[in-house]
Amino acid sequence: MTTARRLVHGLSRKGHPLALSSQRRSNSTKVEPPPAGGHLPGVANSKLLRTTRDTALRTPGISWKDEVSSGLGGRETQKMNTYQAVRDAMAIALTKDETAVVFGEDVGFGGVFRCTMGLAEEFGKERVFNTPLTEQGIAGFGIGMAAMGHTAIAEIQFADYIFPAFDQLVNEAAKYRYRSGGSFDVGRLTIRTPTMAVGHGGLYHSQSPEGFFMGAAGLKVVIPRSPIQAKGLLLGSIRDPNPVIFMEPKILYRSAVEQVPIDDFELPLGKAEILVPGSDLTLVTWGTPVYHCETALHVLNSPSKELESIIPASVRSAKIELIDLRSILPWDMETIVESVNRTGRLVIVHEAGMTAGVGGEIAAEVQKRCFLKLNAPVRRVTGWDIPVGLQYEKFHIPDAIRVVDAVYAADWLSIHDRIVTSVLHGTL
Amino acid sequence: MIRPWRIAQRIALQSRPFSSTTCSRFENLPKSNSPIVSKLDFFNSVTGNGSQIPTYRVIDGSGKLLEGAELPEMDEAFAKRLYENMMLLPTLDNVLYNVQRQGKISFYMTAHGEEATIIGSAAGLDKEDEVLGQYREMGVLLWRGFGMDNVMAQCFGNEEDFSGKGRQMPVAAGVGYALRRDPNRRGRSIAACYFGEGAASEGDFHAGLLLASTIPSPTLYIARNNGFAISTPSKEQYHGDGIAARGPGYGIDTIRVDGNDVLAVLNAVREARRRCLEQGRAVLLEAMSYRVGHHSTSDDSFAYRPRSEVEDRKRIDNPIVRFRLFLEAQGWWNAEAEADLKARLRADVMKSFKRAESLKRHELGELFSDVYAGEQPWNLVEQKEELGRLLRKYGNAWEPWKKELSKFKNNGEDVMGRV
Repeated sequence: MTTARRLVHGLSRKGHPLALSSQRRSNSTKVEPPPAGGHLPGVANSKLLRTTRDTALRTPGISWKDEVSSGLGGRETQKMNTYQAVRDAMAIALTKDETAVVFGEDVGFGGVFRCTMGLAEEFGKERVFNTPLTEQGIAGFGIGMAAMGHTAIAEIQFADYIFPAFDQLVNEAAKYRYRSGGSFDVGRLTIRTPTMAVGHGGLYHSQSPEGFFMGAAGLKVVIPRSPIQAKGLLLGSIRDPNPVIFMEPKILYRSAVEQVPIDDFELPLGKAEILVPGSDLTLVTWGTPVYHCETALHVLNSPSKELESIIPASVRSAKIELIDLRSILPWDMETIVESVNRTGRLVIVHEAGMTAGVGGEIAAEVQKRCFLKLNAPVRRVTGWDIPVGLQYEKFHIPDAIRVVDAVYAADWLSIHDRIVTSVLHGTL
Repeated sequence: MIRPWRIAQRIALQSRPFSSTTCSRFENLPKSNSPIVSKLDFFNSVTGNGSQIPTYRVIDGSGKLLEGAELPEMDEAFAKRLYENMMLLPTLDNVLYNVQRQGKISFYMTAHGEEATIIGSAAGLDKEDEVLGQYREMGVLLWRGFGMDNVMAQCFGNEEDFSGKGRQMPVAAGVGYALRRDPNRRGRSIAACYFGEGAASEGDFHAGLLLASTIPSPTLYIARNNGFAISTPSKEQYHGDGIAARGPGYGIDTIRVDGNDVLAVLNAVREARRRCLEQGRAVLLEAMSYRVGHHSTSDDSFAYRPRSEVEDRKRIDNPIVRFRLFLEAQGWWNAEAEADLKARLRADVMKSFKRAESLKRHELGELFSDVYAGEQPWNLVEQKEELGRLLRKYGNAWEPWKKELSKFKNNGEDVMGRV
């Protein structure tokens, strides 16, 4: 495990998204360009990212947490990528809460993804510090601090390495309040961890383990899609009165750039966000695949010459509703069910494998609640039920073309229509 | 005070002279102060001379002060309080063990044989110290005034139960660090973490001691080495010199104590606590005892150890008897006081037991509370409603539910939406 980790860090000196330049220790707020060619083309031109001050300040659901009540007039934004927004959120938490501490492997010098850059210098080593290399230790230590009413912001270096802490998180953190009848709780615990594929992460730098935690009643699981979302949801997670696992899609650390409000704000946990309204099909996803889905909508709308003949013209004008789930546990059933009741079709997209993934849970609940409104079976576009092989990633992840295929092949002609057609043609 | 690790260091240095070619330059070992030697020499025991880490003791089996040993600072009243609390444990254990056998409670774990370890350590801690237990440390709560009614409430799970249980070793390190960061408790309070020698085989032991020594956090790790983890004897649990031998590897002050000698435990815990506060980091204490009782009410220990061994241990070295002999030698205790105490404790326990037995359980709706703070997630709201619907429909017709509902305050009507 360690060897693999170090290998990747060694590789990362050349400047891809894992990059960790030993020369640059200062907390740079300058946005760096995504790597040449990009690992996630969709994100560079995404319309979902808020690149102006005005749109950033009008982020839906934003709730300001500072004393200033001057409306939006006096508020400023700054261009940030995702790791800078994460760092900004932690700096605010540390500034406003004297009990807050940030710890984990290699966070002291700024973190292998730069998320804690400059925090140790700014807030002191007693508040931002390295731990020995022990994930069960990090989680347990955070539980102990939180049980004492301190704000513990722990980092697990990669979500792939959260499993040694599974017992601490599922048996201890999740059940702390319940088993003590509310006498004790670890609500001030937040576990941050980089997640999802990064282009070349292989088996242990690519995983999406959110599904494993979906049954851990007592925990919350949150995954942001962008810098504004990362800052607002992370501050919301840090201050939520429950332990939260906050999974940051690592491929977006440098590639997703937005104007981020510099003030203290939160975004709500447990609430999905409708990114693109539509009436023909509901597309639900979270994290990195949000951009694959956005790309898929463009491809459906105006396919390239090569794809034109493959994708039926009938779907070109389809109005597809794109939803970012944001919180995996608890998930926003109401928003999804309301949407599917309008559209009659649902496609769920996630990077983790299909079997026992989050998509299965959502699909089961939606078919129960929307049975009479469903015009087609619920479909899932996910990673295959295999580990993430290094050389096969492009064929493993649920990228735009797989989403396109699922959307138009998702029985565009409704089951009802097909039955009628079959009866008319005597083929039923 | 015996300090085995220091002795060990001295012995090691004396008995193992490093080669005269010792290199005084360490630059080829950038993260170490290790001297360079030219002789190939493996080592094993931490004491260096091959002997085991010594066990610290104050009074012998007949309650007499060992030569050179120092009594802890205490007066007659304190000594009596120690004894009464030690005596309370078997009184409670006997009643609750039998009550479990009658099916009135579902489960119980006694502390037979470990009374001195538990009460001695509790007495050595400050009341403000945070305690993180395993499960055989109820005596620590009783020492702190938790009260018998609360013990009963928890065992019966009745409406007065508000207690929780079960923490772990890395958690204790975090608690210790939080105490260090709290300006009101820094330098005053420590975290004390109890665990058995079996639990010390978990990765959490390694993580906990490692973190509390490295970060550092004032945390006292108290290992109850009672020879068994359920059926597994300690010789199948580790190959080294017990748990204490591991402490020096983490760079923490360590001591092994006679866990059947309440005064040795008290002395050692007081000193360990002082060191925790002084150094701000972990200290390890291994208390050697013998688990006289079964592991739990779900275990028959004679399936894996002879009854005679247990009877021998009870006769040869009973921690309560040992301390009583000491008290009698001081003129602080006699047969009459013993009879009075036994009668009083038995009456108190029975009164508390009868009261607990007569109380109802919490409202059934508590089943769904405290999973989350703040807004209850939709699934829990709906599932509680679903249970209510099922109870309204089948609650009186389905025998297993009907019988069970009557044990709850309001008979489950709160979940059915009738109260």
